Amino acid sequence: MGKRTIQMVVLGFLALAFTATAAFAGTIKIGLMCPLTGSWASEGQDMEKIVKLLAENINDKGGLLGEEVEIVVEDDGGNPRTAALAAQRLSTRDIVAVIGTYGSSVTEATQNIYDEFDIIQLANGSTAIRLTQKGLDKFFRTCPRDDEQGKVAVKTIDNMGFDRVAILHDNTTYAKGLADEAKKLLSKQGTANVVFFDALTPGERDYSAILTKMKAAKPDAVFFTGYYPEAGMLLRQKKQMNWNVPFIGGDATNNPDLVKIAGKDAAEDFYFLSPPVPQDLQTKQAEDFLADYREQYGSAPDSVWAVLSGDCFLAVTTAIKETGSTDPDVLAEYLHSDLKDMPGLTGKISFDDKGDRVGDLYRLYRVNSQGEFVLQSD
Amino acid sequence: MELFFQQLTNGLAVGGIYALIALGYTMVYGVLKLINFAHGDLFTIGAYLGLTLLTAMGLTDKLGLGVGILALAVMVMGLVAVVGVVLERVAYKPLRNADRLAAVVSALGASIFFQNAVMLIYGAKFRVYPHNILPKMAVNILGLEIPLIRIIILAASIVLMIALYLFVQKTKTGTAIRASAIDQGAAKLMGVNVNRVISIVFIIGPALGGVAGVMVGMYYGQINFTMGWMYGLKAFIAAILGGIGNIPGAMIGGLLLGVIEAMGAAYISIAWKDAIAFFVLILILIVRPTGLLGERVAEKV
Repeated sequence: MGKRTIQMVVLGFLALAFTATAAFAGTIKIGLMCPLTGSWASEGQDMEKIVKLLAENINDKGGLLGEEVEIVVEDDGGNPRTAALAAQRLSTRDIVAVIGTYGSSVTEATQNIYDEFDIIQLANGSTAIRLTQKGLDKFFRTCPRDDEQGKVAVKTIDNMGFDRVAILHDNTTYAKGLADEAKKLLSKQGTANVVFFDALTPGERDYSAILTKMKAAKPDAVFFTGYYPEAGMLLRQKKQMNWNVPFIGGDATNNPDLVKIAGKDAAEDFYFLSPPVPQDLQTKQAEDFLADYREQYGSAPDSVWAVLSGDCFLAVTTAIKETGSTDPDVLAEYLHSDLKDMPGLTGKISFDDKGDRVGDLYRLYRVNSQGEFVLQSD
Repeated sequence: MELFFQQLTNGLAVGGIYALIALGYTMVYGVLKLINFAHGDLFTIGAYLGLTLLTAMGLTDKLGLGVGILALAVMVMGLVAVVGVVLERVAYKPLRNADRLAAVVSALGASIFFQNAVMLIYGAKFRVYPHNILPKMAVNILGLEIPLIRIIILAASIVLMIALYLFVQKTKTGTAIRASAIDQGAAKLMGVNVNRVISIVFIIGPALGGVAGVMVGMYYGQINFTMGWMYGLKAFIAAILGGIGNIPGAMIGGLLLGVIEAMGAAYISIAWKDAIAFFVLILILIVRPTGLLGERVAEKV
């Protein structure tokens, strides 16, 4: 190619680039760190779809402060190592804030990185208590916290009249935290005896040894605080052993893949705690959004954690709009003190001074014989 | 006492799977002195191919349960064997005369390639084998409820292992394999086609790994692209435990590892189950590095 031709091509590209961005003055970049691969790929992929849909909606209406909202996505792989790398990459991409992520141990690995770069982080699925006990003033979460979940778990165990409870976790930040919380409350209130307390290894397939050992302790119920892949396998193998003790799950067991893995037979009569699942959300915002989502992607979103990432997005874009600024300190101040009862997809959103979401969200769900999640009223 | 036997059966069933995969490691090491790190991923590929064949072709509907599963196993073994041979030709053969380290790095690279290939082709989410293929009966032996499938899996594993052992000990090709494992140069001088032997090893090993994948998929239901990692690691430990390069060693190592894990979970702590298994490995390497049944290594005289 001659020199002249190259110059023409370069000029051509530049011209195209200018016309393409002519609509918006610039872009506001918001990061999304989610598990697109790994054990929780279902969650991550839903998160990406929801946040991108919401961003599209804003851009169609003229953008944010006249600028286009761009979502910069990085995969955290559902594990702390990959997430730390993802956080490093995102922090150098000029993002105003980052939404993410799902697993508490994964979020924890990235908190300090974002804090060092002064980037606001809004987590959507990390409920471990200690994440907001570190004095990080730019960390927020739209999901509830495990002390609330522990209380609801113990209340459920009490209501259902169980005396001997086995608690099983998987040694991750979230699961162990919730298990410890439940054990503490159970011994303090004397509601039931904890006859078994141990952890399994996530990613393993064969839980027969564990189930056999638990069965020997003769519990009335088992409280499993780990994630949905393992919960599905546990339920399936428990059924194969013909062991019929009721299992109660923590909020990380809330995902339709649970029923896919366990099979409808084994998943029937499994109870779990969770913020309301997408079909049970009652705000107008939620209904409009779900209709929108269905139109774009063909079916409703599977997981409430992904919907909570939508709420993270709404919170940060509201903050940007109301303060007219993308300065992290200004936004953090707004989110702590001035964002009151913002109508979000999962209800009213406000953050307290530690960054936790205000309000009680946990409900009890039961899986019916069709594999559907049915909300139980108190 | 009942608990002991229950856990023993749990351990044996898991151990059977470890043993099948360990055989692949041990055979390749015996002949090539190479740890085929991509072997765990061949196991994963077997599981996924089994799923595709099962759902796409509806084998069990057309042929009935027993014959259908047998046909599935044979087809998966064949396909994974092909992948194994291709792997050998592409990743290992060009490096046969190079530094050992180069071959190991190549193996790791192949492993990463396979994992990501599976992820890109099948998606990052879990896939689940169709439920209700296998009968759900439990057999009552000595007062223990053991799911029939576990017994079938263990039996199938043992049958395959015995078949392999007889093949290696009694047939001419088997003798050729053993000769190549002892000394490749001398075997060539005796007229053994070493290239063919290597190809055969890479047919049998991956085939066994693939069928183990199908068994795991059918029994546990859930498969994902990283499942090969943990199984591969445990099988590798099992192979070393029994003596790397030694076929009966791999079988015994696999079963033993399964039982040790189950017993460790039952009597010590579930959370420490894997730590106990790895601790056993360290112990064996310190006390008896050649493994329980000894390593097949040429003696330099």
